[in-house]
Amino acid sequence: MTEVTDAVGPAGRPSGPAARYDELIQPRRVHGSLYTSPEIFADELQQIWYRTWVYVGHVSEIAEPNDYVRKSIGPQDVIMTRTADGEVHLLLNRCAHRGNLVCEADAGNSSSFRCPYHGWTYRNNGDMLGYPFHQGYGGRNKLELGLGRVPRVGVYQGFVFGSFAEDGPTLEQHLGEAKGEIDRLVRLAPEGEIELSAGFLKHRARANWKLLAENETDGYHPQFVHASIFSVAESGIGALYGEKSTAVTRALGNGHSENDLRPEFRRLGVPLGWFGTTEEKVPNYVKAMRDRHGDSGAEEVLIEGAPHVMIFPNLFIAEIQLFAIQPLAADLTVQHVTAVQFKSAPEMNKRMLQQCVGSVGPAGMLLADDTEMYERNQAGVAELRPEWLDVRRGVDREEIDERGLTIGGATDETGMRGFWSHYKHLMTEGRVR
Amino acid sequence: MNISPDIVGNEFAEVSIRIDDEANSRRLRVEDLKTGRVRFLDALELETIVWLPEGNLRRLLDPSSDRWREDA
Ligand code: FES
Ligand SMILES: [Fe+2]
Repeated sequence: MTEVTDAVGPAGRPSGPAARYDELIQPRRVHGSLYTSPEIFADELQQIWYRTWVYVGHVSEIAEPNDYVRKSIGPQDVIMTRTADGEVHLLLNRCAHRGNLVCEADAGNSSSFRCPYHGWTYRNNGDMLGYPFHQGYGGRNKLELGLGRVPRVGVYQGFVFGSFAEDGPTLEQHLGEAKGEIDRLVRLAPEGEIELSAGFLKHRARANWKLLAENETDGYHPQFVHASIFSVAESGIGALYGEKSTAVTRALGNGHSENDLRPEFRRLGVPLGWFGTTEEKVPNYVKAMRDRHGDSGAEEVLIEGAPHVMIFPNLFIAEIQLFAIQPLAADLTVQHVTAVQFKSAPEMNKRMLQQCVGSVGPAGMLLADDTEMYERNQAGVAELRPEWLDVRRGVDREEIDERGLTIGGATDETGMRGFWSHYKHLMTEGRVR
Repeated sequence: MNISPDIVGNEFAEVSIRIDDEANSRRLRVEDLKTGRVRFLDALELETIVWLPEGNLRRLLDPSSDRWREDA
């Protein structure tokens, strides 16, 4: 049990984990130990990562029958496979014999997997195929030991999610209002399909995963953290996250949140303005979009642009790039980053890849800034006083929009508060108080 | 006689073979040129064929074992 000082845990209160999270997470502040405690991290793995729906990968990464890629759910090493009949499976990378890693490569194509230790072999749906020198087991087909499986696999618009819980909310229920944001991204592809074919970068941050998730839709920091890149690039993005901006931060429910910049883009009314390019530079793409959506439909889609949405707990779509957050320890997180690519849109794909590399690549401008902040933040929260992190920004000026969702100003911490209320729900639900 | 290098043929059957790089790792693409039917074989499957004893291969060559079956 984490040590919580007397400020939050006076004697005589109900104890147990549920009561503890009630105290640590309050409407206007959250306790620093949530970011530093190994016990809380272990608890999160059980209550969140091994229970709720977690984003794993995209079907385009296993396009051919028998393709596979290595992915993860938190620290768990997961193999995402496509069998010859087209089904998608999430298998755990652990031999049923003595636990050796079955797959070493990041990706491949094979109808079956063979463990290097004693040669046990599995079909790519996880079923056991066989084992060498079978007499030691009394003959052939005597064992029924398959690879471990993530019990539930869900696919939405090609995005593959897994849940270690046998039952619970469906993927669609979990995604809820966030589905519309995924739809908005896919709608920008001329054929309505995206492809994650650009390869992944892995950025390691010495910080707690929640600092990353909270920052993804924090509209308060860009003007400060990214000031130099905005000024060098003569970018108008900074202004979208200012006090006068008509953009909103929206809590989408279930811990999801977004920065909805559409009001600003609509006001400016420039197709592809959100992407910093013009129709003339990508004529074939624009034509394909007009063919698909009609002239006025295409105009609207191209003006409104792509979503900026954090899907709880680990999928962040930042317009044209996609991040998967992988927690490894209370103070260690990997961000897997790739450029979004549209099926059959080579002009846009090249530009999206270049922008992605420039902003979040190894020498990119944006992620380097943010990572510096994550790590400074992690160092700071380990300090003993004042114990709490403040998340009250905009709490008294929040409104309910026409969909019944909570919105705040462009720079408000509405998304963070939505994150924490869902977090608290998952960490306390189903527990004896 | 000039036969394209990736064709293996005789008077009984003719297949074209080539390495395919479309998937997440290399595989062999084999096409039955008489019917156009295509099969991909991955490395582990190919290795298995190399080790198939003559008897097992002969069993697979029995026309009634898979392709022309009355019960299928
Ligand atoms: S541990 Fe995999 S075969 Fe023995
Ligand atoms: Fe940032």
